[in-house]
Amino acid sequence: MKRFGVGGIWVGILCASLLAAGGVRGQQEYPVSARTLKNGMRVLVQTDHSIPNVALYIFFRIGSRNEHPGTTGLSHFFEHMMFNGAKKYGPGDLDKVMEANGGANNAYTTRDVTVYQDWFPRSALPLIYDIESDRIRDLNFDPQKVKSEREVVASERRLSVDNENGGVLDEQLWATSFIAHPYQWPVLGWMSDIEHWTMEDLKHHFEMGYSPNNATMVVVGDVSAEEIFKLCETYIEPIPTHPPPPAVTTVEPPQMGERRLIVHKQAELPLLMMGYHVPQSNSSDFYALNILRTILFQGESSRMYQRLVDKDQIALEVTSGLEPSFDPTMVEVVAQPKQGVDPQGCEKAIYEEFERAGSAVVRDTELEKAKNIRLVEFYRQMRTINGRANTIGTYEVFFGDYNKLFETAKNYSAVTKEDVRRVAKMYFGANNRTVATLLPENAEKAKP
Amino acid sequence: MRRRWRIWRFLVVAAIVVLAPTVAPAQTLHLPPHEKVVLKNGLTVLLLEKRGVPLVNISAIVKAGAAADPSGQEGLATTTAGLLRKGTKKRSAQQFAADLDYIGGEFEAEAGPDFTTINVEFQTKDLARGLDLFADVLLHPTFPQAETEKFLAQEMDGVKAAKDDPQSVMMSYYSGYLYGTHPYGHPAGGDEVSLKQIRREDVAKFYETNYAPGNTILSVAGEFNSTEMKAKLAEVLGAWESRAVKSIAIPGASPSKGKRLLLVDKPDASQTYFTIGNTGVAANDPDRVAIRVVNTIFGGRFTSELNEALRVESGYTYGAQSFFDQRKVPGPFVIFSFTKNETTTPAIDLTLQVLAKLHKEGVTQEQLKSAKSYIKGQFPPNIETSRQLARTIATHEFYGLGDDEVNELEARLDAVTPETARQVIQKHFPAENLVFVLIGKASAIGPAVQKYAINQDTRMLSEPGFWPAPATAKK
Repeated sequence: MKRFGVGGIWVGILCASLLAAGGVRGQQEYPVSARTLKNGMRVLVQTDHSIPNVALYIFFRIGSRNEHPGTTGLSHFFEHMMFNGAKKYGPGDLDKVMEANGGANNAYTTRDVTVYQDWFPRSALPLIYDIESDRIRDLNFDPQKVKSEREVVASERRLSVDNENGGVLDEQLWATSFIAHPYQWPVLGWMSDIEHWTMEDLKHHFEMGYSPNNATMVVVGDVSAEEIFKLCETYIEPIPTHPPPPAVTTVEPPQMGERRLIVHKQAELPLLMMGYHVPQSNSSDFYALNILRTILFQGESSRMYQRLVDKDQIALEVTSGLEPSFDPTMVEVVAQPKQGVDPQGCEKAIYEEFERAGSAVVRDTELEKAKNIRLVEFYRQMRTINGRANTIGTYEVFFGDYNKLFETAKNYSAVTKEDVRRVAKMYFGANNRTVATLLPENAEKAKP
Repeated sequence: MRRRWRIWRFLVVAAIVVLAPTVAPAQTLHLPPHEKVVLKNGLTVLLLEKRGVPLVNISAIVKAGAAADPSGQEGLATTTAGLLRKGTKKRSAQQFAADLDYIGGEFEAEAGPDFTTINVEFQTKDLARGLDLFADVLLHPTFPQAETEKFLAQEMDGVKAAKDDPQSVMMSYYSGYLYGTHPYGHPAGGDEVSLKQIRREDVAKFYETNYAPGNTILSVAGEFNSTEMKAKLAEVLGAWESRAVKSIAIPGASPSKGKRLLLVDKPDASQTYFTIGNTGVAANDPDRVAIRVVNTIFGGRFTSELNEALRVESGYTYGAQSFFDQRKVPGPFVIFSFTKNETTTPAIDLTLQVLAKLHKEGVTQEQLKSAKSYIKGQFPPNIETSRQLARTIATHEFYGLGDDEVNELEARLDAVTPETARQVIQKHFPAENLVFVLIGKASAIGPAVQKYAINQDTRMLSEPGFWPAPATAKK
């Protein structure tokens, strides 16, 4: 959930996880310089003078997985509070000063991380460091701002969940698929929790999550590594460390049979979502899973599109998603059934295609195609300073080392037809899935 | 999370149309050098070499969009664009998809109000294949009957699916209510009724009428050699037979007088989505830079007057903003926000107060300085990729704008004074003449919103079409 919806500047984390390559150009031309500050913050810098701008990302390893029942949504709410005043830059100052100097910002929160983004002309460089160090060290909690920001977050929830069918169904799917692990609750939090966190909860969250040694800073653009390290020494290094969040030790037990849920809601069309448990991002099956998803779901020549949209004509769209994660997560499948089509018809077709991918190896051309698609996608996300900052940070945080970025080519080209078949069979069976269906109620019935 | 980018999707689309200005403070930014050639058949070709990433982007602008749709067949331009890839003289839809995906290529074809854009992107090493795919769909589409039926059925359901996300249909209602029967009132993608009226022959005719070399601007950007590229383009596209084409005349649009309000009833809504505004300005309006500065202050950034009032200070909403969608003739000016049912009238009242304050107090010297700096600082990433550059120069060509849009923008921004801002506010920001469109729960908000306009209309979200009600759907 991001702080502000204008612009669509954000390069999807979804894409960031997808990378591919093979004789890849782009990143080697702009080498990354890395340093760990004395207080433990990791800093990565990539110089690129093609535009006079800078993208600065700070990844904090804290997200909704670090929350508990009663305080769900706190990480996301906290993300909003990081813009609402610290010691030097009081409520409203941060945005005003940044924009007056040509900069803009945003932030997003996931189940695993909270990420802050600044985009600015290089002339604003010292100012951005002054602002960032102020709020990381001395965030203030103005009770008035806490009150009005609760309303803002409630509005965000109404926008993206209550009045958006996909949002409702997605939330229910995670809540059903995970019964033990904290991935079960929504990043935005349950509404009753949004209404009830206390000031103590907020302060505790800050102390827990916002220690420099729990963060990675990525700077890409019209800068030199030396000047960034120098700014870090002045502004960031003096910030004291404190203990990081306690480890999340809960492990989701294996699912032992299909789970199903239904949402009845006023709607024009039904909607179908499914979740399949898969390992975390740094697992060895990550690349094979992405190749499988590409073959099945990406482009109009993909198997699912050909089957459901083109041949059987039972769906408008069928897609899949897999986000970076620290802990075992889900591949989500979303199908938009056509009007008058029983969602179960879509289900059946999807199961058959998974079954087919699990029982016989794919064609050589399908595998080559998937690798080509990954490669071009990689170029697309590496062609802007913003895309590179997000990608470098994602690799450092979720794969443990930004250098893994340079191995994606090798990792994707190593995937074999047999790997693809194996992961299809291993993860996409009936016992490992949760199926969520939204069934429309007519307007008359919905009236009070 | 997948949802994140979907927020305010319709505004993002508009933001692409309104090409952003300018330049960085420290280092003046210029469009990279590019050249223009006109092929013998009349095709305008723009070429811009950009090194760094081994991709080539080709954008074609065909000078006919949704505004060219015949009344009752709204969605025809979109359907024509969508079907280009669904069968050619040498490829079936499936073959095209297989060939495109194999090289990791990206293809989009879509109709905006003024023109249709066909965009393809692929790796430089796949230039021959990529060009062949592009030329094949542009020159030789066959619009197979079965594919046409399939596509139209999907589009009809697509309209229904969009209605399940009120934001994504907000602009269709607003444009229809603001412009009425003017071509800018057409929903670009059509509606449940108009799409039913479209036949294969209509699509073929739209193509024959409008897709011709003399009616098309081709823009190529990325990593390539211009001399070689010109030769290749002449070879592949030079064969496109020239045809006389009647250019699309879009009648002028004048502001709506008085106050009007359309309430679209969504009985299960827990929040109200609202747009307020009137017609705005054309893409070549001489005041466009000053308008951009004033709108940045009013509703074009996070610390804008609107967002400060409705989000930061009151917590009524997650976001509030305004924009001018600049087109061939005046496109819409829109203020957009949303708030829970209970705070609908307080939020709209506050919006109107912020607008009134703009007229009464104008903008300060300090606000001007901040907005200019913001526009300059945020501009460079808008022309960072070859795809953005291809679109930028093609759009400039279409609207008769030059490189000065970028190269002189810093100077033009600097020239905006509080006095020019005052004039721009008076001339271009509506005050008393306002069109309101609300999507929300009528039983909860209907009585309270009556105070905004004497002329009111209501409609169920679930009724087919947008506004005006499609002729064949009237009771």
